[in-house]
Amino acid sequence: MRDRLYLVPFGAAMLIWVYGPLVATVVISFLTWDLSSGPQEFAGAANYRALLGDADFGTAAGQTVLYAAGLLVTSIVLPLYLAVALWRRPGRAAFVYRCLLFVPMVLAPVATAISWQFVLNPLVGILGFRNWLGDPSTALATIVVITSGKLIALNTLLLSAALTSVDGDTVEAARIDGASEGRITRRIVVPQVGRTLVLLGMLTVVYAGQWSFTNIAVLTQGGPSHSTDNVYYRLYTYGFQYFDLGGASAGSVLVVCALAIPLAVGAVVRRG
Amino acid sequence: MGRRAAWHAALIAASVVLLGPVVLAVLASFKTPSSLFEANPLPVHPTLGNYTAAVARFPLGRLLVNTAVTSAGVMLAQLVVAVPAAYGVVRFSGRAGRLVLAAGSLSVVVPVQAYLVPQFLMVSELGWQNTFAGMIVPQLSGAGIALLLLHQHLRAIPPSLGEAAALDGASSLQTLWYVVLPLLRPTLVAVGILVFITTWNEYLWPLLSAPGLGTVQTGLALFGNTEGANPGPLLAAATLATLPVLAGYVVAARRVTNAFMHAGLH
Repeated sequence: MRDRLYLVPFGAAMLIWVYGPLVATVVISFLTWDLSSGPQEFAGAANYRALLGDADFGTAAGQTVLYAAGLLVTSIVLPLYLAVALWRRPGRAAFVYRCLLFVPMVLAPVATAISWQFVLNPLVGILGFRNWLGDPSTALATIVVITSGKLIALNTLLLSAALTSVDGDTVEAARIDGASEGRITRRIVVPQVGRTLVLLGMLTVVYAGQWSFTNIAVLTQGGPSHSTDNVYYRLYTYGFQYFDLGGASAGSVLVVCALAIPLAVGAVVRRG
Repeated sequence: MGRRAAWHAALIAASVVLLGPVVLAVLASFKTPSSLFEANPLPVHPTLGNYTAAVARFPLGRLLVNTAVTSAGVMLAQLVVAVPAAYGVVRFSGRAGRLVLAAGSLSVVVPVQAYLVPQFLMVSELGWQNTFAGMIVPQLSGAGIALLLLHQHLRAIPPSLGEAAALDGASSLQTLWYVVLPLLRPTLVAVGILVFITTWNEYLWPLLSAPGLGTVQTGLALFGNTEGANPGPLLAAATLATLPVLAGYVVAARRVTNAFMHAGLH
């Protein structure tokens, strides 16, 4: 019994700062709660109805899917290629590249956003021949590219880790049998990291919204004309700019429910 | 030869694309205002003018201290709860352990926005707004990843070591302290560095919980809003804000990447 004491601090931390607040979010989502004026009262499903009737929330939800889709392309395919390239030729150079590719992971996101702002500065920036962030048709894609640096870094490293478990003997045998390198990669190497790819897909979907948040906040504030908005930034706007805590909480509940779907699918695929 | 060159070319290209804008910004921070947007990325007449301007107008020293204290605090707090939990889960495999491990794993995929409003209300109820306690303690919500990484490594330590210590009359706490922790030290350092860097780069929570104290990230964003036509000092401030973590990473790159490489998150 006493041995369970080891679990208590962590368990308490999770209850107090994650799961308790999660339950509170659900409760608050049924209340009218304006942060500035105070007294909260039961509102039934009014917050949910207001959200579902809000065109801006609908736009943000659709664009959250676009963010996730865009980041899945840039941060699964490219890291897989990079990780396989590093795995094929291990050694000092591979180690240096791996450390270099991980750097975006440790760079301060606000500083990175400011660097991009400088490079993309319309007219005078080195890539400023087009107003990337000011044009609604390119702004979201630009934020996706900026955000993918971090994800590419993390995913390349996690895929490299997964590739260390690829059986060298099988690869050697295939090589002796005369299989081409491309064929070995497609048929032997990639299938071995299938589970990791699914995990990365899940993590990318979860973190796509969160990691784009800082870039949106620093670079576009969701604009121009809502074109870079996503649900995470929208919820922040509801809660901490309009001080509508009930509405923000209702939105959080909807987001968690929506996220549960890809996560559950991923978990089933990984198990099967 | 050709294949080898292609391999290097691909990896160098990836590194350039990922790091290019940051390198350009750092180089530009040494440029004079008139040459800031010239096509040549190298500062032809290097100057520290942007740095003196940044230090004069941007409270960098204070923000660095705030960020360092917060990052160290979160790192310690997360390790203090996650180390015993990882030990408890591995050593006393039971239902409670599995439940704690599941709770920790699930917390990794819950978006912070899902519990931000209640956390914010709790902090204001406790009177912790604009305090280090308010910035540090709620970030225990991120301890799940520390638990997962520590658990993966602890599992690899042979249980016979603990059993031998128990036969010698060591309590489980003594075993943790004298046998397990020394073996776990490289992992502790790596996980610690990882938590430190993550907290250093955190933007949203310091912005909400302690706008009056401020961190390097929130300060930079604010500085960015007030600087208009001449981004030189802003680029200098961004460079200075990134330098400490980058230096830490350069020193410990092998450990940080190895912590991930061997984490077996797959």
